[in-house]
Amino acid sequence: MTGQLQEGIYHAPGVRPDQCFGIMFLRAARGLTAPQIGTAFQTLWAMYQNLKQGQVKDIPGAPVPSGDLTVLVGYGPNVFKLADRGRSLPLDLGAKNQFRSARPTGGGPLLLGSGLSYADDIQFNPATEEIALQFIAKTELAVNRAVVETWKSLQDLTDPETGESPLLITRFYTGFQRNDERSWIDFHDGVSNMKSSERIQAIAIKEDQTSPEDKWTVGGTYLAFLRLPVDLTVWRKLTRQQQEIIVGRDKLSGCPLEMIDKDGNPVVQTGCPFAGTREVTHPENKEYRELPRVPLESPLNASHSHRANQNKAEDVGSRNSLRVFRQGYEFLEAIDSTPGFRAGLNFVSFQDTPERLLRMLTQPTWLGGVNFGGADKAQLPGMERFITVRAGGVFLVPPVVEGEVFPGSTIFGL
Amino acid sequence: MLYDIPGRADSIISSDLLEQWNQTIQNAYDRLGNWKNRFFTLDPSSLKNPVRAPIKWFGDPAEPAFCLDEPTAKQLCDWGVPGRHVLHNEYCEYRVIEKPDTTGKMRPKRVEVTTELREYWTCIAKFDPVAVRAMVENVLGFLPSWEALYGVSNPSLLSPRQREIAFSRLVSGHGNNAELVAAAVPEQPIGALNQDNALFMTHPINGLDDLLYIVMFGAAPYVIRTDTGLKSAVREQIFRQYNVEGLACRHADPAAAMGAQGAAMNGQTVAFDNPLGMYILSFNHPVFRYQDQAVPEEWIRFSRGEKDMYQRLVFGPSDADEAFLDDIVVEVGSDIQPLTGGFQVLQQIEIGPIIVVGEPTPVAADEYVILRTSADPIRCRDAGICDRIYQLKQQYDTAQKIGRVAPRQMGVLS
Repeated sequence: MTGQLQEGIYHAPGVRPDQCFGIMFLRAARGLTAPQIGTAFQTLWAMYQNLKQGQVKDIPGAPVPSGDLTVLVGYGPNVFKLADRGRSLPLDLGAKNQFRSARPTGGGPLLLGSGLSYADDIQFNPATEEIALQFIAKTELAVNRAVVETWKSLQDLTDPETGESPLLITRFYTGFQRNDERSWIDFHDGVSNMKSSERIQAIAIKEDQTSPEDKWTVGGTYLAFLRLPVDLTVWRKLTRQQQEIIVGRDKLSGCPLEMIDKDGNPVVQTGCPFAGTREVTHPENKEYRELPRVPLESPLNASHSHRANQNKAEDVGSRNSLRVFRQGYEFLEAIDSTPGFRAGLNFVSFQDTPERLLRMLTQPTWLGGVNFGGADKAQLPGMERFITVRAGGVFLVPPVVEGEVFPGSTIFGL
Repeated sequence: MLYDIPGRADSIISSDLLEQWNQTIQNAYDRLGNWKNRFFTLDPSSLKNPVRAPIKWFGDPAEPAFCLDEPTAKQLCDWGVPGRHVLHNEYCEYRVIEKPDTTGKMRPKRVEVTTELREYWTCIAKFDPVAVRAMVENVLGFLPSWEALYGVSNPSLLSPRQREIAFSRLVSGHGNNAELVAAAVPEQPIGALNQDNALFMTHPINGLDDLLYIVMFGAAPYVIRTDTGLKSAVREQIFRQYNVEGLACRHADPAAAMGAQGAAMNGQTVAFDNPLGMYILSFNHPVFRYQDQAVPEEWIRFSRGEKDMYQRLVFGPSDADEAFLDDIVVEVGSDIQPLTGGFQVLQQIEIGPIIVVGEPTPVAADEYVILRTSADPIRCRDAGICDRIYQLKQQYDTAQKIGRVAPRQMGVLS
């Protein structure tokens, strides 16, 4: 039986993700078998199903607002190393589709060929645990409650003799949607994301591209997560023109650029925005959300928008198209050093194989070699470290299959 | 004359030869008469305000990967001449050059990659033996004998037609050219020049006519009729309509065809930019490392074309260098593997023709090509080519067994 995509992937036409996001990583206790870990997770999964109904174990009979919570589970490669597991590591979750580790001394490239590196203070990548859980809800409370209720359940599962829980929360991150459709660098973001009608083609693992051993993954997907702070100090040192040329769009309207004039000034696509409108996000400007073709020799081809959006005419289902469905959430967190906060993006993408994303991040004509945008080996001052990585992982998101106790339960031999 | 020589690689070619090359292109185009319409033109100069439109794909063969799996695809593609002749059909062929190390063991030294069209070389060989001999010397570094090129000591005594047949038999194969097939020219060359080296492409599918075909095939506004009007057809419907579903599973055909279809849907006419050819558009060389460092620049040698139009890459140490190809490691994602052949190199290479499109124009109602085929997924493993690939796998396994030197020695004779 072919399974269905889990909830929490907002690919269908007319469907938008709710405002609040959380992602949490769980580590399996050493020495436990796959069935033992699976049984523990089954308890968590049942708790999440109750949470979605507004039911909290410690306050029975007193329903709480569910916030329309959705819960999605993904599995990292380590889960396939547990003893007595029921499934072997899928080919597409192998090492070639995983991010590199951070250097023990901190920093280091995320991938060879990519311009992204870990932040200098990152010596350990927290997004490499056995289990990842994505929570999306209408309210912060619903997402946060899921994290706390996870901790409570794991406390209840703690072995009184050893004091160890079968699963350990190692890290969680939260984020939020912006209703201005912009990112922290003030530019519009996500306006040229894949059409909703096409998304399922890029997301769902296809039977025909899957080996017989991995058939159980068909109908599922792969989640890639990157916690990406942006260096706003570097960004604000650039002029508006420089920023626009790097992004490939006008800063105020979000309209795509079509050329750079002889004086080096960016020129907005003719006709955009439509008379009486101000921003590309206005429905009247639908046709301007996509980027115009520009001459191959144009420096605009090196902009972030052009580098990330190629082969758009090609069928999105083709692995060669390198299309992924992005479902990112911004974040802002307090830190102890100046300026007292860290702002950035929780990059989340779904794709039928992580190979699409990794190739997009490394191939020179795509995002390879640059941190965000601009010409390779000619990035503006500081821009080679404009985006850093604080965590990154790739997880299998198994399909929902009727009769299974939770998605992917067969991995644990359940 | 419309087109310069591919990549503008040879300065020695006379205007007469250039005319012959253009005639070769024209003949191939004329043979595709069924696919002619206003959405494709052979003359890029006829386009109004042309803009280049990248169409590109990865060079590693897709068919063995979808028929079997990627590890087996690598194994078979790297299997010398048999692998090349059967599998290297994404308009990119390679040959691994082996040399003895200090112990006398044969080891891979470097990979020669070519995207050059066989029709161009055959055209020159047909009309100017001196020129083609100089081209071989320029590429391979030695002056080939006339016998190696034509099987005779004095090709000037042969007619152009006789030279074409002789050269095709020894160096370029028949390329599915009906006249050459009728003249008993084998599919692949039997001479050593283009077997011991990747001089230019010889797989029949990698030909000029197929290149024209895949773009012309796609260059039409293919649509389906829906309750709300006409809607752009998807890859499955287009390839199924013409009973060529198997082509939809490759890298090249869907990329080229769907790129052209996307333009046609906008009413744009597509053409090959001058010069027409197949080019190496990017190479993600940072993933290759030697002794924990970037691979020396002199190990990456592009040639046979101007910048952005290279058609040849020689990757690996020179004979003067002590290192071998398998001293290099490939770091993709978090995976690290020795570089043992050409498949791993092609996975990092993007290739394609350079396409230009004209200004959008209204598409008349009678110009739409209305399809009635299903959008159901195409089962790539059902493609006829898989039977041939399973056979090749059997041949490979048999050859490896034959190569075992003794029951307790598992080494393979090379």
